[in-house]
Amino acid sequence: MVVGGRRKSIAFFIALGAGLISVILLLYVGWVLLNWHTGILVFFGILLLALVIGGVVLNTTFLVREIRRNAQHDAFINAVTHELKTPVASIRLYLETLKTRAVDDSKRREFYDIMLDDSDRLLGTIEQVLRTGRIGDTRRELHVSSIDFGAVVEECLARARRLYPVSANALAYRHGPPITLTCDAEEVRAAVSNLIDNAVKYSGSQVQVDVETASVDGKYAYVRVKDNGPGIPPAELKQIFKRFYRVPGPLATRVKGTGLGLFIVRSVAKRHGGRAWAESEGPGHGSTFVLQLPISR
Amino acid sequence: MTANSSEKILIVEDEQHLADGLRFNLEAEGYQVRAVDTGEAALDLLLPASGNGAPEAAKHAFDIIVLDVMLPGKNGFEVISELRQARHFVPTIILTARGRPEDVLEGFAAGADDYLPKPFELAILIARIRGLLRRKEWLRASAPPPEPKDSFVFGDKSIHFDLLELRVREQVYPLTVMEASVLRYLVEHEGKTVSRKTMLKDVWGLHGDTDTRAIDNFIVRLRRYLEDDATRPRHLLTVRGIGYRFIAFPPE
Repeated sequence: MVVGGRRKSIAFFIALGAGLISVILLLYVGWVLLNWHTGILVFFGILLLALVIGGVVLNTTFLVREIRRNAQHDAFINAVTHELKTPVASIRLYLETLKTRAVDDSKRREFYDIMLDDSDRLLGTIEQVLRTGRIGDTRRELHVSSIDFGAVVEECLARARRLYPVSANALAYRHGPPITLTCDAEEVRAAVSNLIDNAVKYSGSQVQVDVETASVDGKYAYVRVKDNGPGIPPAELKQIFKRFYRVPGPLATRVKGTGLGLFIVRSVAKRHGGRAWAESEGPGHGSTFVLQLPISR
Repeated sequence: MTANSSEKILIVEDEQHLADGLRFNLEAEGYQVRAVDTGEAALDLLLPASGNGAPEAAKHAFDIIVLDVMLPGKNGFEVISELRQARHFVPTIILTARGRPEDVLEGFAAGADDYLPKPFELAILIARIRGLLRRKEWLRASAPPPEPKDSFVFGDKSIHFDLLELRVREQVYPLTVMEASVLRYLVEHEGKTVSRKTMLKDVWGLHGDTDTRAIDNFIVRLRRYLEDDATRPRHLLTVRGIGYRFIAFPPE
């Protein structure tokens, strides 16, 4: 309902802009036809007219963009609310259960594991939101150090194996040549973790994620994360890196998220003078995410 | 724990942990619990194909629904309003992370009976479930006893709503449930003009721009049963441009 309302208001503003421009054009053309002889006035008139039309177009564009951004922000608030409250609700439910009911030993252990899972999830969301705030702050400097890129990627994979109940083969790592990278280790770790998390989350029950690292003529190092997930439509390949953006449709509601993960990846890449992008042959063919960073700064 | 066992609860929740925790607790309370993780699955359970199969059985399959809002596919608000549109009035508690006032209002507007934001207190949730079930029980207890004679006699004709029969002298015409409902409505408004629109609303529960000609077909059929001359009706009169009027004892 809300979405329908927004779409309507966007359509309204575009129609208003187009309508105003055509009225002006009509008036002006009429005026020119009636007063054809005043040459210099026609010239200035055309100039002013172009200015007015430009202004209307600009105004409409900004309005539409603002409405869109508002919609995304709302979606983000909803998603974060959900991501924060759901684990708390779950932890609370299990604590109350343990407190009020007689629970046998194996059940109790199961409940503890569930609560730990939920607190990890909660912590993940909190870190993601805080990191977005930090990355958005351009004054904040990078804490640069030299790291073994391969070791960082392996660390991230080990974390993912701990977090998700997948077989060891499901998260495969192909070692490239050893690369020593000068970068902010914490940010790079967060970016790589986000890529691996996404690959696992969007794969559903059939997780097969291949990770590899390599370097391009000694200048750039990259990590490729390839999954067999649902794939990405070509039109969305760039969009998904935007802040709060989530691919519309059933997939985004099935896989919960805040719309911050890839934004963080792209921001980290930019801050290091690198690049991040996605490749996919379309829905159903899986997707590959690449994070490319300069080796020396 | 409690005596009210065998009452059935449907949990619609896509967060596995919450669904499992709720199921554990509600089963410990003595309820029968079924959990599904999409709104579509819930609707399939509650509204079997096209509603003609065995809707009555399905309507009573669950005594209460605990419904999440942020579900994959159809969200909880859509699920509840679809249920209500299909005249399915099972008590429903919405249990959701969305707790802003406008969300709560939307939930109630969609047809929820209760709204509980997450995180919730287990004891409160159980108390509210009990409250809704108790209200249902109380309604049943305080309902007026069924009328002994559920029929209407006029002249040499009589309508037996309980038996779904229309008797004209010796002739017995079986009525469909819908025909009986239409007749009952007309009889209740005997002598008054009822418009097609209000009939659609009160008898069929339909709103808005539904085609009103469906009613005309019913009237034509009913006239064939209860008018001596269906082309010159004396009981079921057409009021041009508005609707119909039922006259039990037409002047000679």
